[in-house]
Amino acid sequence: MKVSTQKLALCAVLTALALGLSYMENLFPISLLIPLPGIKLGLANIVTVFALYELGVWPALSILVARCLLGAVFAGNASALIFSLMGGVLAMLAMILLKRFKKLSIFGVSSGGAAAHNIGQIGAAAITLGSTAAVGYLPVLLIVALFTGAITGFVTALLFRAMKNVRLTHS
Amino acid sequence: MHTQPSVKLKPCWWDALVAAVVLLLAVGAFWGFYGFHSGSGNLTAVITHRGEEVERVALASLSAEETITVEGTYTVNIVLAPDGVSVSSATCPTQDCVHTGKITRAGQSIVCLPEQVIVQLVGAKSDVDAVLG
Repeated sequence: MKVSTQKLALCAVLTALALGLSYMENLFPISLLIPLPGIKLGLANIVTVFALYELGVWPALSILVARCLLGAVFAGNASALIFSLMGGVLAMLAMILLKRFKKLSIFGVSSGGAAAHNIGQIGAAAITLGSTAAVGYLPVLLIVALFTGAITGFVTALLFRAMKNVRLTHS
Repeated sequence: MHTQPSVKLKPCWWDALVAAVVLLLAVGAFWGFYGFHSGSGNLTAVITHRGEEVERVALASLSAEETITVEGTYTVNIVLAPDGVSVSSATCPTQDCVHTGKITRAGQSIVCLPEQVIVQLVGAKSDVDAVLG
């Protein structure tokens, strides 16, 4: 696969943006608004959805993996890597599948991705803890994912509207 | 050549179908988990630290609150009371375990990921299946 310099640069910028967003959302703890542990908006998912539609599967996946790896390096927390990777990759797989249903809007794709992200994280928790105790928390997370997924879907829709006349890549 | 990706930007009823599937999954996970763990009466708190069970306390046997401290990289203070269990304080960065609050039903658990502590409530197995009369 030949990758143009422009596309590579675009991927790098989007990776940086995703990293910035996931760091930024820690500054506004949503848990103050919704008093549930472990709830995140998942702002970095905006970048994933955008990349998936605009650039395709492989660039989106590369951005995701680079974001998870760099995020773990910057946070100095290797054990968090399995959480972000399992959540991120499962969300990506779900969104690739959902995107094939042309009738679904970006809201459905994003919400499905958010739900899959939480399933992946609970899976990661089950692996690290060696216990299924965390599964009891999945119902709450799934319901919250519907809202956070819709919010990120909404922002991504705004982004697409704003970018309608912007050419990102020539080929 | 730049082709605008065909992306639907407005929510439609098909999206509600995705939401319905997710809701079904949530309900299924709820029944699958709490249905399986349901045991009435005698609650027992099981505390697991890094994969090993460190404490098992029948809540009914407590007359007053009791604090159990689990120490590792971080310190987690667990308060056992006759009606439920909570984490009163922890030195971990995420504080998710403290935010979970008090758990009072069988199947519920408090998880501290940084220290790998699980506090789980299980319905104690009774010797008899049912008491009649």
